[in-house]
Order: sequence, then structure tokens, then C-alpha cells
Amino acid sequence: MKFLNSKNIRTIIIFVVVGGLLFLALSGYFTPLFNLSVNPLISLQSWLSTRYISARDLLTTPRDMTVLREQNALLESQLTQLQTQLIVMEERLGEAQVCFALLDFGRTNPQYNYTAATVIGREISPFLQYIIIDRGTNHGILYGMPVVTQQGLVGRVDAVIAGAARVKLITDSTSVVNIRLKSAGIEAQLVGSLTGDVSLDMIPLDASIEPGDVVLTSGLGGNFPPNLFVGQVLSVQRHENALFQTASVQPIVDFESVNAVLVVTDFEFVEISPLIPEPGQ
Amino acid sequence: MIYHLTCALSVLIVFILQTTVFSQTRLVSGTADIILLFLAAWSLQESVKNSWFCTFATGLLVSYVSAMPFYAPLIAYLGVVGISKSLQRRVWRSPLLAMILVVLLGTFLQHAIYIVILQITRAPISWLESLDHVILPSALLNLIFSIPIYAVVRDIVKRVSPQEVEV
Repeated sequence: MKFLNSKNIRTIIIFVVVGGLLFLALSGYFTPLFNLSVNPLISLQSWLSTRYISARDLLTTPRDMTVLREQNALLESQLTQLQTQLIVMEERLGEAQVCFALLDFGRTNPQYNYTAATVIGREISPFLQYIIIDRGTNHGILYGMPVVTQQGLVGRVDAVIAGAARVKLITDSTSVVNIRLKSAGIEAQLVGSLTGDVSLDMIPLDASIEPGDVVLTSGLGGNFPPNLFVGQVLSVQRHENALFQTASVQPIVDFESVNAVLVVTDFEFVEISPLIPEPGQ
Repeated sequence: MIYHLTCALSVLIVFILQTTVFSQTRLVSGTADIILLFLAAWSLQESVKNSWFCTFATGLLVSYVSAMPFYAPLIAYLGVVGISKSLQRRVWRSPLLAMILVVLLGTFLQHAIYIVILQITRAPISWLESLDHVILPSALLNLIFSIPIYAVVRDIVKRVSPQEVEV
């Protein structure tokens, strides 16, 4: 009975009470009591923490801002450099694409020799459609040589000096190109206009032409080589009492944005105008 | 002499700008002629005494490069400077108004000369079509660019003019 002395009984009671309290706590019976005592502490801690963070930010932000601004300036300068490089690369890519296209045209039309030239200017008068290229007699360019792009016919050399040449476009109002309509198998004349539009003239009335017909040079007259692509028929106009049909043509070359051309250097231009009788003769 | 040198240098710059930039900037089929604007503004400056020589040289240069026949640009520019000189004496109090008038009348005169000469050379150009597609859009573009060109030319002339000293 020594075991049930007062000391041991007190210890057992303490264990039972502590165990009971733990059981009650784990069972959630003390939660309201905990909340009541802990929430003020959490609120106090939150308030203190917020004030501390604000104070710390206030003291450290200027330094961070300076560093960030420096980094931002550095990144912006790097971005500018990269953008400049990108623009230069895009320009080079565009030039390379034009060169590849011209080269491709030369490969697919190997019967002629070509000299590539860059367009450096345009005619001052708005009534005329001419371009100025950076190749002249020093590079073998001569009067009358046909000028093409990878897409099709552009015009022919109208005047030439040592380092440059002036090219009359087929859209010029005084330009006349003898053409052939591929599907209809007929020949006609392609004439330019003041506005830069081109149209077909001298089409026989009995000829059947449709929008979309392909227009090629015929080679007649000796001004241009045959079978150069010129454009496609847009619409056909047939007027009463007219001797011929006319048709609007969509040129294949975009004359507003042509930047590089090929001059056909081994085509022999034939001047037949002295053979054409003047009116009244 | 300094005026001639300045004019020659300016004309070269304006000529290059015209052939490379302004001839490609089209409104319908019309383009601005900043060479005409430069000559008009130059000849309207009071301190520039002899603008005929500059106009003649410019006209020759443009005639040499242009495909227009019979030195048409030379004739047209001389006509424009003629208008400018005659208006300078009448509208001398308001140079901007004079500039606008010279540009308007000069553009019409220039294009009329071009059409007549092209018709002589058998180019199929009609007056009505030219008026709609070329002359009116060109006149509008020339009017738009006339004020800035006048301001630039006046600034150039002021810079090269010798300073007047009061005794």
C-alpha cells in the first residue's frame, strides 16, 4: 500500500488532469478559448510586421530604385542595339531576297546576259514615267536595252551616261510595246497612260479575250525580246463602231516599289522608225 | 558670290531629294516639285539680287536629267521666277502670300508648258485628264510644302547675308 501514498496520488492526478486537458484541446473544445487569447497576439504581430516592412521599404527603396533604373537603362540600350541590328538584318534580308529573285530569273532565262542595277531616282515631271538606274555605259549599258525584273518587263533604256541610265517604263504615256495574248494567240499593242495604267489596243474585234489572259511580249518591232511576262488582262472594252477592242491590263511589276532591275545586255535593239513612213509621205 | 555658292549647294540637295523622295510621293498622279518651290522662295528673298543665273543653271541641270523634251523644265522655271519677280514688287509686304501665289501660278504655268510641249512631241496627253490627275494634286502638294520650304530658304538667306552694322 506504499504505492498509494499521497505523493503518487498527486502525480497520478496531475497526469490525469494534463491528459484530460490535452484530450479536450485536441478534440477542439478549447478552440474558442485559444482564439480569444491568440487573435489579439496575431493582430498585434501583423500590425507590427506591416509597420516594420513599410519602414524597411522606405529606407531601402531609393537604393533599389537606383539600381533598377540603372538596370532598366542598360536593358533599354541593349534592346535598342538589338532592334537596330534587327532592322539592318531585315534590310539585308530584303536585299538578298531581291538578289536571289533576280538571280533566279537569270537562271530560268539563260538565253540572255543580264546586268543588275539599282533604281536611284525617278523622273521629276509627273507626266512621264521613267526611272534612273545606277549602271551606265561603263557597265555595258546601251540605248534601247530592255529592262526586266524577276517578275516581268519593266521598260527599256532611253538615255545613258557613263555611270547611270534613264529607263522608260512601259507605263509611260508614250510607250508602245508589241505584245501577244497567250491564250487567244493574237497580237496587239500595250500602251501606257498619263496615270500609269496600261491597256491593250489594236485587238481585232473577232478576237476572244477574257480577263486573266496572260500578256507576253511578241518580239515584233525589235524593241523587246519575245515571251517576257507583262501582265494579265483585267477587263475588256468593246465600243460600238470601234475598229478594235481595248482591254485594261494589270502589270505584273509593281512600278511604284521597284528597287532593283536587270538590264538585258545582249539583246540587239533594232531601230525601225526610219522604215515607218511619215503621215503625208 | 556667296549667294551663288549657297544656291548651287542648295539646288543640288533639293535636286537629289526631288528625284529620290518627292518624285515617288504621289497624290493621284501628281507630285510635289520642291525644285520649283526652292526657286520661287529663293527669288522672293529681298537680299537675293540675281536669282536668274541660279534659275538658269537649275533649269539646265533638270533638263539634262529629265526626259522632258526641248528644255521644258528650263523654260518652266524661268517662267516661275518671272512670276515671282513680278509679284515680289506688288506683294512685298506679305512674302508668304506672295509665295503661295507664285507656287499656285507657277505650278499651273509649269504644267501648261509641259503639256503643250508633250503634245507637240505627239504624246497622247489630254488637258482634262491632266488637270484631274496631275495638275490639281501637284498644286495641292506644292502648296502644302511651300510654307516649310519658304521658311528654310529664308533661314538660309538670313544666315549667308552679311550683317548690317549701324554707324
